[in-house]
Amino acid sequence: MTDTQWPRYMVFQQEGPDQPVVHNGTVHAPDAELAMLNARDVFVRRPEAVALWVVPADAIFTQTQEELAKNELAGEASGYRVEYYVFGKFAQQAQCRQIGQVAASSPQTAVQAAIAAFPDQQPLWWWVLPISAVRKSESTQAESMFLAARYKTFKDQAEYPVVSMMRQLRDKGKLG
Amino acid sequence: MQRAHQYALSGYLIAMADDELILGHRDSEWTGHAPILEEDIAFANLALDEIGHAKLWYELAADLLGEDQTIYPDRLVYFRDATQFRNLQMVELPKGDWALSTLRQYLFDSLEALRLEVLKHSRYTPLAEIAARIRTEELYHLRHSRAWVLRLGLGTEESHSRMQAALDALWPYAQQLAERLPGERDLHAAGIVPSSAALFDRWHIDAVEFLTKAGLQVNFQQFLAPSRREHTEHLPALLADLQSVARLDPEATW
Repeated sequence: MTDTQWPRYMVFQQEGPDQPVVHNGTVHAPDAELAMLNARDVFVRRPEAVALWVVPADAIFTQTQEELAKNELAGEASGYRVEYYVFGKFAQQAQCRQIGQVAASSPQTAVQAAIAAFPDQQPLWWWVLPISAVRKSESTQAESMFLAARYKTFKDQAEYPVVSMMRQLRDKGKLG
Repeated sequence: MQRAHQYALSGYLIAMADDELILGHRDSEWTGHAPILEEDIAFANLALDEIGHAKLWYELAADLLGEDQTIYPDRLVYFRDATQFRNLQMVELPKGDWALSTLRQYLFDSLEALRLEVLKHSRYTPLAEIAARIRTEELYHLRHSRAWVLRLGLGTEESHSRMQAALDALWPYAQQLAERLPGERDLHAAGIVPSSAALFDRWHIDAVEFLTKAGLQVNFQQFLAPSRREHTEHLPALLADLQSVARLDPEATW
């Protein structure tokens, strides 16, 4: 039995131009384009997004406060440095949100760099993800992806008094 | 707008709305049955969008005819029989497998996007405004259906053969896209709507190029397209399902 499960992508959403990017869930998809479409259909049914990001789940490196306390601090390896987005989760119920960006030669050292760069931030859980792994929705597609929802009043439950109507029909003896 | 044009345009809009309604109903049949949860949600979204578009066109038609916009669309949807519908035969075919429904969505969406692009500039402003609004959603639909046709066409042996079978089945029906809609001749002369034949020629070039890119073989035989008054045996059965609740109590206000 081969595993036919598609890989997991983490979905991040930005609700407004001045809002931080936050993690809001997961989709399965065979590739980044379908991950983007799935993310839109699963998470953005209302006009509350200006951007979506999808990132392969296994491209994200995480460290909890407990893990950081236990681990040897990784030294800055010599090597090619790349840019990482830094996210943090500040409470059990809170969404992981974007803190900033650092350059580092490995995910482990990116966490160290984040701790040094953002001393006033104390998340329970650090996430770092290489910028190159992130697929972002394009601004030219924002209208068809997000803004169309403004007109979709036909998706509101109030538009469909079906349940109450069916009761009335039953009471009139119209239903067998 | 001249009275004759108002009447012609109402017929044109109802035909477009019938396409959207029947396709939306077929799409809704995937709810709970799609191959993967994310697509279940995506197709339910698509179905709602299409039915929402139908509602907008029926309402505009009601307005042109001086009918009540809150009542007339429901009367059209629930109390006409199959002979009075003007939708394409392609949209009334049973949903088939995932390949068929996905390809049908692509064929319909791609022509629809071209039509709406022209309607956006219609000389009848209310039509132009609604076309612009619907087009933003259609662009997303098209992106979704293209993504799937491409991946299934170029995917595994099974996905490819199912997509090819879907194309062989649907392509003859797709030729009906070239036919004029009700009232089109006069409305086109007046700069209110595009020529379906001209749209179809542009569409044909794009569609063949895209389908070939998806590894599929297009059949270039000539097919005779039926008129929009003719339907397959699938439409009465679909309507029986769609209209059953409304007809339990025709007097009810929903």
